[in-house]
Amino acid sequence: MAFITIAPPSQPVTPDTPRAPEPSGVSGQPGLAGPPLRAGMTTADPTNAGRPRTGPAWTLKLRTVPSHVLLIALAVASIFPVYWMFVTAFRPSSGALSVNPLPGPLSLENFQYVLTTIPIAGMLANTFGMSLTLAASQLLVAILASYGFARWDFAGKKALYLLFVGSWLVPFQVTMIPNYLLISQLGLLNTITGVVLPQLCSAFAVMMLRQHLEAFPQDLLDAAQMDGRSSWRSLWEVVVPNLRPALAALGIMLFISAWNEYLWPSLIMQKSDALIQVGIRAFLGAEGNNWGAIMAASSLACLPIFLIYIFLQRYVVDAFIRSGLK
Amino acid sequence: MRPLRSLALTLAAGMAAVALAGCSGTSQASTVAKQIPELSPDQQVNITFESYNLAQAGVWTDTVKGLVADFEKAHPNIHVTSQAPQGGGAVGSNTVSSVQTQLLAGHAPDVAQLTFDSLDFAATQLGAQPISDLVGQKAVDDALGGAHPFHPNAKHLTDWNGKTYGIPYVFSTPVLFYNATKLAEAGVTNPDLSTWDKVEAAAKAVSAKTGKPSLDISCTSIGGNWCMQGMFKSNGAQVLSDDRKTIGFGSDAAVDTVTKLAQLTKDGVLRNADSSAQSEGLAKGDTAFILTTSALQGSFMAAATKGGWDLKAAGMPSFGDKPAVPTNSGSALFVLSQDPAKQRAGWELIKFMTSDHAYEQISTKIGYLPLRTSLTAPGGSLHDWAQKNPLLAPNLAQLDRLQPWVSYPGNSYVQIDDILGKAVENVVYYGKDPKTTMADAQKRAQDLIP
Repeated sequence: MAFITIAPPSQPVTPDTPRAPEPSGVSGQPGLAGPPLRAGMTTADPTNAGRPRTGPAWTLKLRTVPSHVLLIALAVASIFPVYWMFVTAFRPSSGALSVNPLPGPLSLENFQYVLTTIPIAGMLANTFGMSLTLAASQLLVAILASYGFARWDFAGKKALYLLFVGSWLVPFQVTMIPNYLLISQLGLLNTITGVVLPQLCSAFAVMMLRQHLEAFPQDLLDAAQMDGRSSWRSLWEVVVPNLRPALAALGIMLFISAWNEYLWPSLIMQKSDALIQVGIRAFLGAEGNNWGAIMAASSLACLPIFLIYIFLQRYVVDAFIRSGLK
Repeated sequence: MRPLRSLALTLAAGMAAVALAGCSGTSQASTVAKQIPELSPDQQVNITFESYNLAQAGVWTDTVKGLVADFEKAHPNIHVTSQAPQGGGAVGSNTVSSVQTQLLAGHAPDVAQLTFDSLDFAATQLGAQPISDLVGQKAVDDALGGAHPFHPNAKHLTDWNGKTYGIPYVFSTPVLFYNATKLAEAGVTNPDLSTWDKVEAAAKAVSAKTGKPSLDISCTSIGGNWCMQGMFKSNGAQVLSDDRKTIGFGSDAAVDTVTKLAQLTKDGVLRNADSSAQSEGLAKGDTAFILTTSALQGSFMAAATKGGWDLKAAGMPSFGDKPAVPTNSGSALFVLSQDPAKQRAGWELIKFMTSDHAYEQISTKIGYLPLRTSLTAPGGSLHDWAQKNPLLAPNLAQLDRLQPWVSYPGNSYVQIDDILGKAVENVVYYGKDPKTTMADAQKRAQDLIP
């Protein structure tokens, strides 16, 4: 539904000023900078009482048609792969190459095959554990680092911050082998610790949180200090509770990106089939891909993310909007 | 462990001394002296075995793990940790990079399954051990022989610089699969598909009926260079000279090969599709012919049964009177360990994984070609299986004409392969000028040869 504001809302209207013709179908209290009004609400305005309203309202609706068509097309294009994943997963394995856009015939064959072929329950649990650890640790580091950046002025602050930003710009492929060698020397190959350790700090999370903390009212911090709170207690008792929505949004995003990790875990967890993304790959082969099984395993791998989305929808949307729509 | 090892070394030294006494030539003496000692029965050894088949769930993983378990039962003192290659990428495409990364970290797998195109790189850069030095040429020959010996053309696929670096493990050859039902609908029955001209005629008939290209050739798209080498050889061209110094993509015979294939596109019979779309094309009934790896036979058979059509197979077509020269895809097993005990244990594993028992399992369960071909002859343990799989016949017959998949020298062998793949695609599918495109590819590839 389109929202229309009165334009210009704050234009002063005096009795001797000829009233500018209003945009048809839109009206409001002249001279009042009020909240945006819905187009439909204008019927209450007595000045418009005698005008036909259906025509212009229709024009307005028509004007929104192209953008709606575009949005619907984009939405379908985004949802279709997910829809197709479920449709293929629920077909019998022999129907994996079917191009019938409608679901069916319904079969659990692919799921049964996946459940008996790879230890998917364990994989999901391990991946969940890894993602949770990663998201929690990245969030903790980000809170401490961004608090430091936002709260104090110190020599080299800008340079240090640039180093953080710079590390975000270094592609993973550059650090992959050195990190692998380090993890190998630490004897942490094939452990989830090995996967988590080099990623404890997310420069992206530090950047995001710093933006939020920069906007945090200094007065609150000063007041906390006057109350006799130490910097440490101010952080946990004043800053963090106030930043809860931002932290929740960021936490969800970190969890989702950790969940989708593939290359690094597959390097470190070579001897074990502990992670779900590695498990899905097992159905891709040199002698043809088992699409039915891939789709079934992927459907199961998507479930935790779907659950997060269903229960924490507001925060998820918030997270992606705050980060500039990734 | 240490006293045991030194005991074994002493024993080996003693055996070597005995062997030396019987030798007259110094060159023989040095070969024998380098050989690794046998393991004593109670000498415990742990080895790592990296196989890309383990990256694929289902029969691939189950069969290899089953064989490793059988091996451990037969050799209670050897413990095998089997693992899939690390990192992303399709199955079989990241075998070398995986070993390379682990090598950097100082723990390369002791035995690895590597594709034939990396033979040169494996021998020169990955530290693959010359097995014929480790255990002696006679032991290698004995292993390749036996009651059901390796096919003669499969024996020497991993020879490099006069030494045997690996034992061929699993491979396939290019086979022309076709949908006989679709051909019959177009009026083509019992087709002779022995030459490209005949294939084109049959494909034209099907295309006329269906109104779309009916032929796929996996050799001409990226990733199909192993069989593109065979196409070149079938037309008298070579990708690399015999002295391994000169690239031959730009030769007249090579240009002629891609020109002929490009004609198939111009005539509307050859479809432009990537490799996975190709194999799904025949399965879905979009196309009627595909020249591709014989390893896809199982998935085509399943699709034919489901779709109710008749799947048939023919050998690789030839260019006119020149005999078709099939090349092999696939992989061999290499010993990468530097430790004599692990090398010996690795050799025992390789012998087991390429034994009659292993091929019985690998062929019946996964469907790969048994390299000990006489197992499929009457009286052999795979005879019944071969009878039930008549599509195997053209594949087996092609082994008699098989030539090895050439590995390029130097560290840039993957780039060279990529340059060739792109050039062939540009000519065959996108109508680029054959002569200049192939000459340019040759020049760029030649610059990468050390």
